[in-house]
Amino acid sequence: MKPIIKWGFWQRRWSTALWTLSVVAFILLNLVFYPTFKDQAAELEKSLANIPEAAVQFLGGKDFFSPVGYLNSQVFFIMLPLLLSILAISLGSKLLANEEQNHTIESLLARPISRSRLIIGKMVIGLAIMTITTLAILISTVLITKMVSIDVPIQNIAVTTLGCFLLALSFGAIAFLLSALGKARALSLGLTSTIAIGGYIITSLATTVTWLDIPSKFFPFEYYKSELMLRGTYNWTDMLVLLTITVVCGVLAWFSFRKRDIY
Amino acid sequence: MSNSKQINDPVIRISGLSKTYAGSDKPAIDNLSLEINAGEVYGFLGPNGAGKSTTIRLLMNFLAPSKGYASIRGFDVTKDSLEIRKSIGYLSGDFAIYPKMTGRQFLQYMADLQGGVSMSVITNLARKLDADLNKKLGELSRGNRQKIGIIQAFMHNPQILILDEPTSGLDPLVQETFYELLREAKKRGASVFMSSHILSEVQKTCDRVGIIRAGKLISEDDIAEMTAEAAETFDIIFATATPIAELKALDGASVKRVSDKEVTVHMHGRLSPLFAILAKHEVSKIEVHNLDLEESFMHFYEKKETK
Repeated sequence: MKPIIKWGFWQRRWSTALWTLSVVAFILLNLVFYPTFKDQAAELEKSLANIPEAAVQFLGGKDFFSPVGYLNSQVFFIMLPLLLSILAISLGSKLLANEEQNHTIESLLARPISRSRLIIGKMVIGLAIMTITTLAILISTVLITKMVSIDVPIQNIAVTTLGCFLLALSFGAIAFLLSALGKARALSLGLTSTIAIGGYIITSLATTVTWLDIPSKFFPFEYYKSELMLRGTYNWTDMLVLLTITVVCGVLAWFSFRKRDIY
Repeated sequence: MSNSKQINDPVIRISGLSKTYAGSDKPAIDNLSLEINAGEVYGFLGPNGAGKSTTIRLLMNFLAPSKGYASIRGFDVTKDSLEIRKSIGYLSGDFAIYPKMTGRQFLQYMADLQGGVSMSVITNLARKLDADLNKKLGELSRGNRQKIGIIQAFMHNPQILILDEPTSGLDPLVQETFYELLREAKKRGASVFMSSHILSEVQKTCDRVGIIRAGKLISEDDIAEMTAEAAETFDIIFATATPIAELKALDGASVKRVSDKEVTVHMHGRLSPLFAILAKHEVSKIEVHNLDLEESFMHFYEKKETK
């Protein structure tokens, strides 16, 4: 399994570095203007007062200018989950499906390596890339918040980053499961993206549209509550749901890939 | 061969093997049975879509059989696939590459997965095949990529080689080097299961030939019989009128008139009667094409069906 991990990671070394740097740059650009916004908070709040409730929920709530509110609305509410999810879905739908679609999987499976080891190796690559990117994000977010005086406890930033990581990982795991089932890369990518974006819309609307309460429970976004995490009042059961989705999808992917035909 | 379950068993045994793809009601291969012995080079011939690649993919356990059984070195190809793959060198029909890797990096990756492969063997094979290991695979021509495919199949001196159209894209000189590698493998006792379209290749390398059509093995024959059945194509331009009646009367000839003075003759079997006719007439130009295996297949199949 070691060569699969080593060479798989080697193939993605530059794209991983580029993604990580891009996300860190995005966080820096979003947070660095906090002192300016803070000084004009009263006026900006007045202009935001007339926004409809449903639109407010899409933006991450009414609190934009407190340290937690700013960090949430600018980074953790939608943009970071979105960026990390794009990375995870891309990895999930490509790590295995690319090998199959390009037929390079035959060169791998002609060697004395079991399908189990191959798929676990691919999962490890995805997990490692996600972990490296997330750690870089956590470290840079903590440093930047200190730099611009966004006063949020480090452990709350760490928990929120972990939640964001698990949310993205659950989408990546769904994409990986679809590709392990033999679905084409495009279908895996498209279906998972629909689940992610659709879930975000339904979950956001569910706060104002009561009949969406139950449907929203079927989407991972329901279990990611960035503002509560940043305030330190998060329900850890929700985190467990995200972890469970990831593990179940991983196990199902492994199970289905072991015996199916490789075309 | 020390790990073989039964030393005297055929190295590859296929028994009543069938594969029907999901969504299809017609089997891609149907009740296929054949055996390949140690040190034997077996050519697996058939037109496109006949089931050659499906058979190879079943042996490699990429596909699960719908019915039947196949074993390599006494090991079941589905249950003991991992053990089997320790001693197999495989080259797929459409050898796929990682375009951003160099040949050296790709071969190092494959060597890491295989285990126990010396870089000196890789370098030696690359030298023989004149393969560029330092260029990115995506920048190589099809023939040069195929060289890398051949190196990865031979680099661990496997006891069994399973090769799907191994010389496609190779120039004639490199093809000769490949045949030499096959002869060396055979000399050290390796068995080879090779699909091919090229009759001259089969003639040069194979001990026995199996012919597959529509998923069924329709014949297993000595290579000499196949060669005798093969057609050669002659494009002939006469200086005067074409002796079309004489040509059509030839045994084993299929004649197509192109113009008043030009004909194409597909000739099966002995060629001397054709040359006897040509000697009697003034010929301006004659071109001989390579043996047309597709056409020979058809002739061979027709003959087998009418038997």
